[in-house]
Amino acid sequence: MKDNILVIIPAYNEEFNIRRTVESIFSCGILADILVIDDGSIDNTVEEAKKTRAFVVSLPFNLGIGGAVQMGFIFARRRGYDIAVQFDGDGQHDSSYIDKLISPILNGEADMVIGSRFLPPYSEYRSSFFRRIGIHFFSWLISLLTDCNVTDPTSGFRAYSRNVINLFSEYYPNDFPEPEAIMVARRYKVRIKEVPVEMHRRAAGNSSIRYMRTLYYMIKVTFAILLDKLKNRRIFMP
Amino acid sequence: MNIKLLGITLAVAILCIVVELTRREKLTFKYAAIWLMVSFAAVFFAVFDELLFKIAYAFGFKLPSNFIFFVLMTAFVFITLLMTIFLCQQNRRNDKMAQRLAMLEFELEELRKGSGSDEKIA
Repeated sequence: MKDNILVIIPAYNEEFNIRRTVESIFSCGILADILVIDDGSIDNTVEEAKKTRAFVVSLPFNLGIGGAVQMGFIFARRRGYDIAVQFDGDGQHDSSYIDKLISPILNGEADMVIGSRFLPPYSEYRSSFFRRIGIHFFSWLISLLTDCNVTDPTSGFRAYSRNVINLFSEYYPNDFPEPEAIMVARRYKVRIKEVPVEMHRRAAGNSSIRYMRTLYYMIKVTFAILLDKLKNRRIFMP
Repeated sequence: MNIKLLGITLAVAILCIVVELTRREKLTFKYAAIWLMVSFAAVFFAVFDELLFKIAYAFGFKLPSNFIFFVLMTAFVFITLLMTIFLCQQNRRNDKMAQRLAMLEFELEELRKGSGSDEKIA
């Protein structure tokens, strides 16, 4: 399966983490290609990423996390990958779980697999108290609006089958996209499954969701989820 | 009468500016159309102000000026909404173009390296 898995790493100003992240994936034994998407970084992220064996695609300006991840789906679609794995560039995700993440897709059980910190055996690091409240709220809201129970809707550690790669290469939410992407996926009847994973604190730098933006994040994502429920049309037919 | 003259002059001036901007290609017709409609309406009601008053009273406005403000506010809200739609459309196109450009740059670099576009690394 070596040639059919692509690990997508969106990176914005991650010069201190990106190399370590890429090396950790190459050394975990998974046979996959790695794509680093530089989202218009103003530091040495590109140079650091190019020191590894990963593919490096550089966006001309900052598109935000949604646009960067979608770039990965476009790349995966164009090159015919069967599975894409979304992996954070900041060292929060544990590459030893990639295997577990893709196995439901390989077995044909699911089209989209989410790595969850909130499934037993529980991850040691499960975000701050306030963020956990937000995550549980989104989880409740999504389960209320869809028939899908996702315990960690903000997790960016995910695997996708070819169908979902095609769908998200056409449309992927832009701002804080993870919870909304679940709604989009369910609208297209994508089979979603969660698997337990470990996550770590960021190795260096700041999270893209800073405390001052938390309130905006909560309101925006809540609206985005509710509005998606009103979109019952399937615009893209990948 | 002076106010009427002022109203007509301003409305005609706005119409002339919109036409001139379109003529100089500073405004494309797609975006000028809404401003042309607004300017024509302004000229029409500046000339036939009696009609404007009649409509205002028919809608129950005590003062015709209140009606004018109400119509203008409503028109600007819709124009702003329309502009936001265009802005979102441009934003989406920009993102798509940036993604396509990044992909092309990557492929060009790959070709330059002579590694062949189908070769994979892992």
